[in-house]
Amino acid sequence: MAKANIVVGLEIGTSKVCVVVGELKRDGTVQILGVGEAPSVGVRKGEIVDIDNCGKCVREAIADAEDKSDVMIKNVYLGITGAHIRSFNNRGSFTLPDDREKIESADVGRVQEEARTAPIPAHNMFIHTVLQHFYVDGQDGVLNPVGMFGRKLEADFHIVHGVANRIKNSIQCLCDLDIEIEDIVFTPYAAAQAVLDQGQKNIGALMLDIGGGTTGYAMYVKGAIVQSGCVGIGGDHLTNDLSLGLRIPMGKAEMLKIKEGSCVLGNSLPGENVTLRDEHGFAGKEIEREMLNQIIHMRIRETFEFLMRELEKGPYLDYLGAGVVITGGTSALRGIKHLAEDVFQMPVQLCRAQNVSGVASAFENPQYSTAVGLVKYAQATIGDEGGGWLDWFKRWF
Amino acid sequence: MIEITRSTSHVSPTIKVVGLGGAGGNVLDRLVLDGFDAACAVAMNTDVQTLNGSVAGEKVHLGPTTSRGLGSGGDPEVGYAAAEESTDEIVAAISGAQMVFICAGLGGGTGSGAAPLVAHLARKAGAMVIVFVTLPFSFEGKRRNTQAMEALAQIEGQADLVVCFENDRMGESSSPSSGIQQAFVTTDAILSQSIRSIAGLVGQRGWVAVGLDDLAVVLRRQQARALFGYGESEGANRAHEALERALRCPLMDKGRMLAEAQAVLVHVTGGPDLTLNEVSVMMEEFNRHISDGTRINFGVTTDARHGRRLGVSILSSTGDAVVVPQSRPALQKQVVVEKKEAPPAKEQALVFEADQEPEPFEELEEPQPVKAPAKITSQTAPAKAAPAKKEEKAEQMSLEPVNRGRFDKGEPTIVDGEDLDVPTFLRKNLKVK
Ligand SMILES: Nc1ncnc2c1ncn2[C@@H]1O[C@H](COP(=O)(O)OP(=O)(O)OP(=O)(O)O)[C@@H](O)[C@H]1O
Ligand SMILES: Nc1nc2c(ncn2[C@@H]2O[C@H](COP(=O)(O)OP(=O)(O)O)[C@@H](O)[C@H]2O)c(=O)[nH]1
Ligand SMILES: [Mg+2]
Ligand SMILES: [Mg+2]
Repeated sequence: MAKANIVVGLEIGTSKVCVVVGELKRDGTVQILGVGEAPSVGVRKGEIVDIDNCGKCVREAIADAEDKSDVMIKNVYLGITGAHIRSFNNRGSFTLPDDREKIESADVGRVQEEARTAPIPAHNMFIHTVLQHFYVDGQDGVLNPVGMFGRKLEADFHIVHGVANRIKNSIQCLCDLDIEIEDIVFTPYAAAQAVLDQGQKNIGALMLDIGGGTTGYAMYVKGAIVQSGCVGIGGDHLTNDLSLGLRIPMGKAEMLKIKEGSCVLGNSLPGENVTLRDEHGFAGKEIEREMLNQIIHMRIRETFEFLMRELEKGPYLDYLGAGVVITGGTSALRGIKHLAEDVFQMPVQLCRAQNVSGVASAFENPQYSTAVGLVKYAQATIGDEGGGWLDWFKRWF
Repeated sequence: MIEITRSTSHVSPTIKVVGLGGAGGNVLDRLVLDGFDAACAVAMNTDVQTLNGSVAGEKVHLGPTTSRGLGSGGDPEVGYAAAEESTDEIVAAISGAQMVFICAGLGGGTGSGAAPLVAHLARKAGAMVIVFVTLPFSFEGKRRNTQAMEALAQIEGQADLVVCFENDRMGESSSPSSGIQQAFVTTDAILSQSIRSIAGLVGQRGWVAVGLDDLAVVLRRQQARALFGYGESEGANRAHEALERALRCPLMDKGRMLAEAQAVLVHVTGGPDLTLNEVSVMMEEFNRHISDGTRINFGVTTDARHGRRLGVSILSSTGDAVVVPQSRPALQKQVVVEKKEAPPAKEQALVFEADQEPEPFEELEEPQPVKAPAKITSQTAPAKAAPAKKEEKAEQMSLEPVNRGRFDKGEPTIVDGEDLDVPTFLRKNLKVK
């Protein structure tokens, strides 16, 4: 069996490490062969703060995935995230030399290089330079400029960058485990590959991945990614808020959130309570349901409102024909769709990984979207021949 | 029924708690987050990253040259050498303390290697030293277990008291499926609670203070296994319920071991409305769980922060009694004397101690706001934002430090100058009852 068409996505999330093994089929589809998972240790708000202990969890998740997929894992596509990661759009241009009038594939690389000369903070590194659109002599709508006649090739890029040392922590963690990294991918960008289809990207969509420690977003307009980022707020904040507000241990707060919590207000009866049974050392407690939901509601509303303000800084909010798509573990929270519709004022869908086959849990669980997305990212970027501008061109998805 | 006026739970400044290594540091953080004065907490570690994340008021980076800030690699010799390199810093951090509590998870490098030396230095400085350690889970492997046992023997040679918790037994309190991280969270909480209880018993002015020698009698055993239980309740029948819960804790061995214990410490905490009657009814009930010859040392601390919550900790250990030989009588007297010399009590109340006759009541201090650690104080925005209707209300607010809970360590999420780790409902002044 040729193993060349098997790729592995690895997300070291705040709450779990997830490994998805996928096979890239000849017909362009992806089949999931297995999903490995382990609870995370040493990850805060999406970033590794304890390489050793985190390494153990990664090892465990990889072993689990190897078991389930029967594939030896040596190389991975690694998802990275964190609030330090920033994005902006920039145009690069290249004017052909006087003795040439036909655009070559190397010119695309030159344009990209030029776009990357945009200043980023000294300690930052580029993570992605994603092609958005080409222009030849100022004309847009060009899909493939190579071979076209023109004097000036321009292209818009979505550039994602972050603090180099922080990214190196993730890389170091895998080096210590002797795992090779094929590519690093900003997780919202990966998750978008799993949950948005080309149609949605074309008519405009906002993808939110609400995980444990972070909320990532990626916005697509006219088929290209235009805005992306990450905030250090996630489902664990809900748990923390409940634990502090209701004076209950974290474990109870997490359970309460998942089993009883909702972001919809006014749905409980006056005086309706949720009973937490007593256990070792924990006094049982009656919790007013409306209070529980209020605490959750306030946090999620605030997070959405913050994202809304963030997105309003760009010009794209009016172009989201497909509305908002939410994934990640916290998308399972009751009533989140309603609240999102209320804040964003557009249609909202809850979504898991789309258009993959194989192990059902991989696409039934929204917590796996990012890791599945890493496999889909691989599918879209692995050029048939590899190398050259085609790689960059393929990033236009 | 006698109403008791509250006394403060202000921690005696002569106590320092040292958290060593990863486990010790986590326990220390738990302790501070649970309300222990951060100024008395000292984190020591070879691992700078972990140390930076600690909320302790004081931090000592052990062996910057020896370990280059990267931890001990699980090697106790590195841990020892690192502590040795930092001897001066360690001595400075614990100087002036009459009691030094050291907590560490044995089995790794830093805690196991440094604890004997830190204990030694603290004793040399004239402090009474109590060491709280955990023994590794058996699944952590043979090497860690051997390292832990070696370290334990060395610590026993240095400390006045060693309170030893077995992770294997504490793990029972979290479900097996919940993973090691959850198990550590549980053990952190158990250790934090037991340290608080002991600090409460010996270092605070409550209704009844337990002397250090009482403590030694209870805890100093050969091959000791700590028995510890904690329960709380705020219901109508809170004294009974809290005791029930404490007895049900996994480290109590379902009360079986308690029957064999020769001495037990019981520490009750409550709010201003705690009554002596409640306490004596509870102690009567407790007496049914121990044998006639068992010596009970009993203390009560009240603190407005507890509100209606009544908490009971039970601490004891099994194993053969050890004659306490050398443990520095002078210091113990000094502590006792200090208490006896306190100004006459403003209010009268009764003393209740199980194995002694009543004696004049200890001084009761005015409640005073408990200082939150600096890091937390800076985030207590809601305290000022909430307009207090009554004096009492205002006091209540200032007594309760707003914290960021699990986000207390690590980098805050600050947006437009607002710390988003602080619960939204707090920042927006939602009143949670
Ligand atoms: N049914 C549910 N209701 C509410 N929240 C849930 C539910 N199921 C899982 N969660 C929450 O989802 C979060 C985990 O989501 P996810 O696995 O996507 O995060 P992660 O990838 O580990 O973290 P991150 O991407 O932020 O680093 C946790 O906070 C968990 O409490
Ligand atoms: N209670 C508790 N115990 C821990 C924790 N982490 C590790 N341990 C235990 O402590 C032992 C030593 O680990 P650690 O303190 O990290 O090593 P050190 O820093 O080199 O001393 C381990 O073998 C575990 O049994 C923790 O977070 N809490
Ligand atoms: Mg995630
Ligand atoms: Mg340790």
